[in-house]
Amino acid sequence: MNLLNQVLRDPTIVRAWEAGDWNRFLPLARNARLLGRCLHLFEEHGLLDVVPQRLVDQFQGALAQTSYVQVQAKRELRQVQRVLDREGIALMALKGVAYLAAALPPRGWRNLSDIDLLVREADIERAEQALKQAGWGPSGEFDSYDQHYYREWMHEVPPLRHHSRETEVDMHHNLAPPVSRIRIDAEKLWQDAVMAPEEYGRQVAVLAPVDMLLHNAVHLFMNDELRGGLRDVVDFRDLFEHFAEGETNFEQHLLQRAEVLGCGRPLYYAATTARRLAGLDLSPDFIAAIQAHAPVYPAARLMNWLIEQALAPKRLGMWQTAVANQLLFIRSHWVRMPPGMLVRHLWHKTFKSKKPPTHDAEMPG
Amino acid sequence: MRNQDLTIDAGPFRVNVSTSDARFLDTLNDFYEHAIWREGPDVFDYGIRIFRPRNLRRWIRPQVLFEIDSRRPFEPHPLENAFPMFEWSLNWCIATSAHRYMMLHAGTVAFGDQALIMPGTPGSGKSTLSAALHLRGARLLSDEFGLVRPETGDLLPMPRGIPLKNASIEAILGFDPAAPLGPTYPKTRKGRVRHLRPDRESQIQQDVPAVPRWLVFPKYEAGAKETLRPLDKTEAFRQLAFNCFNYRLLGETSFRAVDQLIRQMDCYTLSFSNLERAVEQLSALASEPGPAAAGET
Repeated sequence: MNLLNQVLRDPTIVRAWEAGDWNRFLPLARNARLLGRCLHLFEEHGLLDVVPQRLVDQFQGALAQTSYVQVQAKRELRQVQRVLDREGIALMALKGVAYLAAALPPRGWRNLSDIDLLVREADIERAEQALKQAGWGPSGEFDSYDQHYYREWMHEVPPLRHHSRETEVDMHHNLAPPVSRIRIDAEKLWQDAVMAPEEYGRQVAVLAPVDMLLHNAVHLFMNDELRGGLRDVVDFRDLFEHFAEGETNFEQHLLQRAEVLGCGRPLYYAATTARRLAGLDLSPDFIAAIQAHAPVYPAARLMNWLIEQALAPKRLGMWQTAVANQLLFIRSHWVRMPPGMLVRHLWHKTFKSKKPPTHDAEMPG
Repeated sequence: MRNQDLTIDAGPFRVNVSTSDARFLDTLNDFYEHAIWREGPDVFDYGIRIFRPRNLRRWIRPQVLFEIDSRRPFEPHPLENAFPMFEWSLNWCIATSAHRYMMLHAGTVAFGDQALIMPGTPGSGKSTLSAALHLRGARLLSDEFGLVRPETGDLLPMPRGIPLKNASIEAILGFDPAAPLGPTYPKTRKGRVRHLRPDRESQIQQDVPAVPRWLVFPKYEAGAKETLRPLDKTEAFRQLAFNCFNYRLLGETSFRAVDQLIRQMDCYTLSFSNLERAVEQLSALASEPGPAAAGET
């Protein structure tokens, strides 16, 4: 555990902090894209008087950037919606842009660089064509293998971007790849979807609260080798606390739904990780019940270690983090593809893929 | 050499630099002698490491890397360019994170507490003009960043070494043969570079904001006759907004801040070919009666 995890668990510890602690904390928070979240946390606990002004300025800079990308993301969502509405294609907002659309707690600080959307599998080709005709195109170079990978094996089409805008659009037809260990019946998600409040005369559907949490869990622990990092874990905590406040028996409901969708294992990982590393409060009942979805003890131990190295390294740049990320990367492929397909995929990625060009970040002056 | 730490103030930002490169450290010490923070441990904005990667290139044409938060956003540079690389990279850190401020892409100097803002695209001559005005006694705020605190409209100094490029180096040496220039970096990505060191006053006063008073859009033009031409305020607004790094990002905040700035500043354009006459024209602005004496009625 590092200082950032400790702050998420108990922000009041900063009362005793000295300059060196803040200097270790800032890179962790900046790297995890949680500066804005931390500012809110300090505010909430009446701690702003002990946070050095220099850091408050950094937090506010990050928040200014966040509100800009949030406006861009919501605009992109409206633009996509306009096109798909015309085609009569039903659309659901997922992840970051869904939290914004549905005005859920992460909206106060959540950064995002793309918008994730869900359409029905039967509609996805038509949706992609409609967007392409309306000015969207592939957001990068995808060779025929990549095309095949996305379309046949994954649950999405290659990312799109409108030619005059920056926000990437990731269009999915499911929450997990059709070839993975976890198979979710997407129709069940559509049945329970809820409408977000109207904005600019449009309403968009989002996942039901329990499904939203399960998606976060599946995404973090099945699809993406923890790439969303601690930020996604903090999303889980914030959403969980928000929904649990609004619905009695929410925890029970969540467990049942995980059974129905077959997402027990990711829920186990997400809930226990959010508890350990992001300060989520879980009832003893829930903690006991979730154990039913734990893997066998040695596997659970190993995963715990990996998760901790990846999401809570004592400081940045430790070799353990690199090793853990590599192993998690392998694991994410393992759970996502059957072995034969995995071998083919790795073969191609190692020997056949064009490496993306490396270039310097752009500099002013 | 072992790793050494140095904490330097770059205007409102406190920067910790850790390096094992003795020559780079000497240059830093020399340039920012009066901006070094010596009062013990303190909170800093950016912790930066400048180091030589451990590979074969350690011995053959050695390289140097820039690291912040354990990330290395740039390709390695030749070791001898450590100082210019550090300066660029720090600018990059600020430009990509300091959205708490409105960041104008401008050279800025102050006469007393009143500031002259000279926005401009590369090649407009803003760095050269800032350097020349500074050599004639104006306080250097920055040659690159006009940091505006949006809620007050104050302009914050960030006096760094001014990177003079190619012909500008000779232009400044012709203007003032005693100009305090650092080492020559013959081959950087921007060509040949030499930095002008900000004077002691500017470094010591880097926590003293200035009030924006004049806005001049400079344009270097061979053979141009130096004249300050008043600029229509609507046009000035458009051009100032265009020269603001984070204008779009800050949205309404920057719209209001630019509006406020334009209202309170006298706006001009200046085509120039002769540095001496350009500096004369700009300095003349400062000797005119202040806004209070000029009156509104």
